[in-house]
Amino acid sequence: MESLDDVIDDLIADRVIRRHRRTWLILIGVVVVLALIVLATGGWKERQGRAVPTLTVTADTPATVEAGRWEFGFTRSEIVREPKTDYSTAKAELLVYFDIRNIDTEEYQSGTPRQNLLRWVPGNGADLVESSGAYCRGKPGWSIVYGLPPQSCYTKFEIPPDFTADEIEVGILGEKYESDDGLLGADETPYWHNPEATAVVRLRPTVVVKEDKYR
Amino acid sequence: MKLYRPATILVGILFVLIGGLTRLATPEHVFDEQNIMISKGTIGEPLQFGKEASITVVRVKLVKGVLEPTASSSEKPIETDGIFVAVEWQTSRGPEKPDTPIATLTSDSDAVFSPIAMIYSGIEFGAAGFTVSGSIVFEVDPTELQGLTLDVRPQQFWNVLNRKVSVDLGIPSEESAQKLIDNAAEEYVLPRSETRVSS
Repeated sequence: MESLDDVIDDLIADRVIRRHRRTWLILIGVVVVLALIVLATGGWKERQGRAVPTLTVTADTPATVEAGRWEFGFTRSEIVREPKTDYSTAKAELLVYFDIRNIDTEEYQSGTPRQNLLRWVPGNGADLVESSGAYCRGKPGWSIVYGLPPQSCYTKFEIPPDFTADEIEVGILGEKYESDDGLLGADETPYWHNPEATAVVRLRPTVVVKEDKYR
Repeated sequence: MKLYRPATILVGILFVLIGGLTRLATPEHVFDEQNIMISKGTIGEPLQFGKEASITVVRVKLVKGVLEPTASSSEKPIETDGIFVAVEWQTSRGPEKPDTPIATLTSDSDAVFSPIAMIYSGIEFGAAGFTVSGSIVFEVDPTELQGLTLDVRPQQFWNVLNRKVSVDLGIPSEESAQKLIDNAAEEYVLPRSETRVSS
């Protein structure tokens, strides 16, 4: 059985809530309207456009980009198509070929470029697509040694099977040799991280259709 | 009189002081890393790794090309513009499972070389009481061969006292390095690792 106290409490609570209900409703309404306005005017994030140089690669002028501890020399690109077979769906890959040299004058250490250092720029505001790292000497993740001449490698990007383009763009990011913030208790020895956009190269891909021997 | 508050403040100050003292007492200039002891040695010496494991470098070979043991006869060896240094090793361990070994080569001028990305190139441990032998191959700049040292450090998630291995590969001078390069074999087939009972 409900006591009188409970009943009075309910009554007061009801009054208080009701008294402010209109204010709350107006406030929520304003927030919703503001969100709609921001969305309609192109989102909260300011679009700055491209702040790094764009280099064009043609058949006889490769583009050289120094980014962090790597020096890339982009040469050509390919769209490799694998037609549909009885056993598999159609597939396509975007291959970008480059010569890579280790210019790590901080640590002189062998290594392989991370997957997020090369990104395909699909354009039209779509998200960038990370690469698959570098395939050198036919092996993924092959270490590039400091002091040795450039090594020709390629990287792969996943593309939709019906993808076509006259020109593609690949963004190159360079890591910085710096330490984390010691104030937060992190170790203050510097290391290669914090990749930053360095350049964009524009390539004209050739289309290669892979023959399937089991067709 | 209430002693609670001044006592709290005193204990706080004491903690700060102790923190500063331990900082002063750390032998920063004695070790590169405070929690890693180093087993230094040469080829043929069993060196303690971690708590109970040991690593021995059996021999070192310089080669110009590397092949997987699974390669078919028509496959060409992977070549390099530098030189490959193949380090053949033997490991054994005690009951406790050793940490994953991470191997690098360091030259006199502090260049660091990593092992090549091939399946049979690596250092591993067998079961307790068994000795494993195998090979790990590094791609190296031929001008950096002098004073080459193999470092095998344990991969650790917790900052505990541990022990790494540092082996001098016995290339004292540039002449000896050149001699090794001149005598480098054309190809090297990575051996499959072999396990036998520790004697």
